[in-house]
Amino acid sequence: MRRVLDGIYAVSAALAGLFLVGVFAMVMASIVSRAVGVYIPGTDAYAGYCMAASGFLALAPTLRRGGHIRVELFLQHLSPARRLAWERVCGVIGCAIAGFLAWYSIRLAWQSRLFNDVSQGADATPLWIPQIGMAAGCVILAIALAEIVIAPVLAHKPATDEHASIVD
Amino acid sequence: MENALVSVSLILFLLMLLAGGIWIGLSLLGVAIAGMFFFSTRPIGDPMAIVIWDHAASWTLTALPLFIWMGEILLRTKVTKSMFSGLTPWVNWMPGRLLHVNTVGCTIFAAVCGSSAATCATIGKLTIPELRRRGYPDKIVVGSLAGPATLGLLIPPSITMIIYGVSADVSVTKLFVAGILPGMILATMFIMYTAGWSAMNARLVPTLELRQGLWWRFYEGRHLLPILGLILLVIGTIYSGVATPTEAAAIGVVGSLALSAADRTLNWKNFVEGVAGATRLFAMIALILAGSAFMTLAMGYIGLPRHLASWITGLNLSPPVLILLLTVLYAILGCFLEGVAIIVLTVAIILPTIQAVGLDLIWFGIFVVVVVEMAQITPPVGINLFIIQGLSGLPLEKVSLYVLPYFLIMLVMIALIYLFPEIVLWLPSQV
Amino acid sequence: QAETKWDLPNSLSPNNFLTGVTEEFAADVKESTGGKLVITVHPGGSLFRQNQIKRAVQTGQVQMGDILLSSYSNEDPIFGVDSLPFLTSSYKDAWKLYQASKPALQKRMAEAGAMVVYAGPLPPQALYAKDPITKAADAKGLKWRAYSPLTSRLAELLGAQPVTIMSSELSQAMATGAVHAFITSSGTGYDTKVFEHFKYVYDTEAWVPKNLMLMNKAAFDALDKPTQDALLAAADRAEKKAWKISEEKHAWYIKELAANGMTVAPPSPQLKGELVAIGKQMTEEWLKTAGPDGKAILDAYAKQ
Ligand code: NA
Ligand code: NA
Repeated sequence: MRRVLDGIYAVSAALAGLFLVGVFAMVMASIVSRAVGVYIPGTDAYAGYCMAASGFLALAPTLRRGGHIRVELFLQHLSPARRLAWERVCGVIGCAIAGFLAWYSIRLAWQSRLFNDVSQGADATPLWIPQIGMAAGCVILAIALAEIVIAPVLAHKPATDEHASIVD
Repeated sequence: MENALVSVSLILFLLMLLAGGIWIGLSLLGVAIAGMFFFSTRPIGDPMAIVIWDHAASWTLTALPLFIWMGEILLRTKVTKSMFSGLTPWVNWMPGRLLHVNTVGCTIFAAVCGSSAATCATIGKLTIPELRRRGYPDKIVVGSLAGPATLGLLIPPSITMIIYGVSADVSVTKLFVAGILPGMILATMFIMYTAGWSAMNARLVPTLELRQGLWWRFYEGRHLLPILGLILLVIGTIYSGVATPTEAAAIGVVGSLALSAADRTLNWKNFVEGVAGATRLFAMIALILAGSAFMTLAMGYIGLPRHLASWITGLNLSPPVLILLLTVLYAILGCFLEGVAIIVLTVAIILPTIQAVGLDLIWFGIFVVVVVEMAQITPPVGINLFIIQGLSGLPLEKVSLYVLPYFLIMLVMIALIYLFPEIVLWLPSQV
Repeated sequence: QAETKWDLPNSLSPNNFLTGVTEEFAADVKESTGGKLVITVHPGGSLFRQNQIKRAVQTGQVQMGDILLSSYSNEDPIFGVDSLPFLTSSYKDAWKLYQASKPALQKRMAEAGAMVVYAGPLPPQALYAKDPITKAADAKGLKWRAYSPLTSRLAELLGAQPVTIMSSELSQAMATGAVHAFITSSGTGYDTKVFEHFKYVYDTEAWVPKNLMLMNKAAFDALDKPTQDALLAAADRAEKKAWKISEEKHAWYIKELAANGMTVAPPSPQLKGELVAIGKQMTEEWLKTAGPDGKAILDAYAKQ
């Protein structure tokens, strides 16, 4: 189970990275094509889709690294045992909110397909395709939060460490 | 009465979630969901997904992850360290010394980038670890970054000005020009405060024994060439029309990769770590932006900012009282809403009154931008505070406290542009 | 009696004349229903942005909302009929085309659970350029802003190079020479202050794009009969007003562009001829994708 979940987070993080490079590639394509006089339709829209996919897919891996910020004023006054319990409460609330978002993100992509919702730009992309990235990212985030309820990971290491991880 | 009840209960709920340690983006989502559930009869989930998707995939935001990536690449080169050694002989005589890298860096970067979040994240990524390593105290490192980073909005190009310009039907070009002088004055005030604080707390600011002489300064200044070259490259592509301001972020990435290749730090490991670091920092910001996008929609449905704005416009106030009250309104809204949201939700209602009392719309645009800048650094919801919290690992309450003096300086700036509107209007009248 | 509250998002700027018509429409509805139906207008994309409004209406997230019809032409070519260059070249023609296309529009919106309430025309499309354009050859190689498949096809047929510039960056792009020419509504040209950068505007009246006011069908059905009637009557009045004001506004915008230092002229006979030929070709291409419904619209339009 542990290995499956870690695998999901790793794949999600890797895809997020690829899509960030995708944003860069699309914006460069737009600059270069204009400079050399070629028309590539829809680079602006593809850059946006890549960005959305990158941002959402990175949500869960970022949570695992303690990268999502929170106010710790109250948390840090708790004894380790209580903090562990309280992390579970946070996990439940967080998972409920992320789950709500995940559910409606799936519905968004599903309805886009149902309504034949097509991008209005020159790319004319069926929108359910890029919206899958958002749905997937939100579902994985909800899973990562659910994991905190079952096994509070944040209690394993001190708070400062988690922050340090995004500064490196 | 009903409005007061709605606001107070939503604010309390938000504070509860935040204080309880719920992740900030999720807290915002939670409050917006609750607000829609209790105070409106509208559907909740579908509009939430739509606006979040719409914001997350919007072209104008693409500069943010790219600039963040640029910061991550530069961090892994020797450019940052050499930038500090090149600047040291130039700033060593000033109280505060290298702290001014924050303000000067933000001011220059603001000329490249239209977003204050990107300015904060890119400059902070480079300066926070380096200044800490040299022993500068957190208090002033954080303050002197968070305040000046908001200049990203006031110094052109600026996303906020484009949004205001379109809603208010004023020339974006004139707004851009109008922002330059107030931006410089504000940057100067920030520098003066940082210097003043450092002079009074001299023992907290690390000192360095350095060789003297102008020649030495220029010789050490050679370390600045790579970073100056990068900035000139980005500005150059914008003003030569090769890239639009949003696209210029990609040029920044190209330039940083080139610098990284030049000093032989560009390898597979650094590249992958840079990308991974950038996606994590961006995801942290993206979750908060998603929360505030839905919060904006919920506020649009519930109508709170609209009601407050129309209440103020209905009072028939004289200009000074009107501006005073609007400053208070925006400061309060700014505690809970993101800057652009405030403009979109209120400007349409307030503009007719502004015109009726004879205030200049360009002037009012700069006023709004300064107020929106202030919103970026007020707790509990201030995007620059969150970014600095993420970069420094300091708790939100401390970051907010450290930034307070810079918030007050911005209040002084509002008084200044009110008393001397020429600060804003002189330069555009010359074009 | 119970008061029904509706939301109406709009993506035009708050001081656009069509936003004004919409706000008067909302006030009219409130008055003529004796306060039974209260519509809150959310202008300037403050609730939903342009590309999400149709879906928001269709799924009942809001009860009404107005869309720029042609921006949905990727979804269905029929929605792009009012943006075929030089199919119409005046308000009178545009009105006829609207009447000819109305049954098809209503049918499609009904399939999506929505109704067409009224249509308001945006001022016709003019050609803006940095340097004079008197024949198609002058456009060759120019960087031409395109924002949709139709506008990029038009640029291609003119021999220009279509470029993607977001409207928020248009002003900067003109200043830096990233764009040399484009076709857009006289109103948009005035609003984005094209005169600060370009000197030439050709009043081509190339097409008259429409803003379509949509309504959620279920929300309408839930109203009582007198309220429904009052709503539709107010819509009728709003439509007449929108068409009248739009035409006046177009004249005003063109006058203001001139007053701000632009050289305003009708397209030269040669350019006009070349543009009309391109328009014919695009209309034929469009017919292939729009099928029998498209043919029916053009036939009905020809008859009027
Ligand atoms: Na800027
Ligand atoms: Na704030």
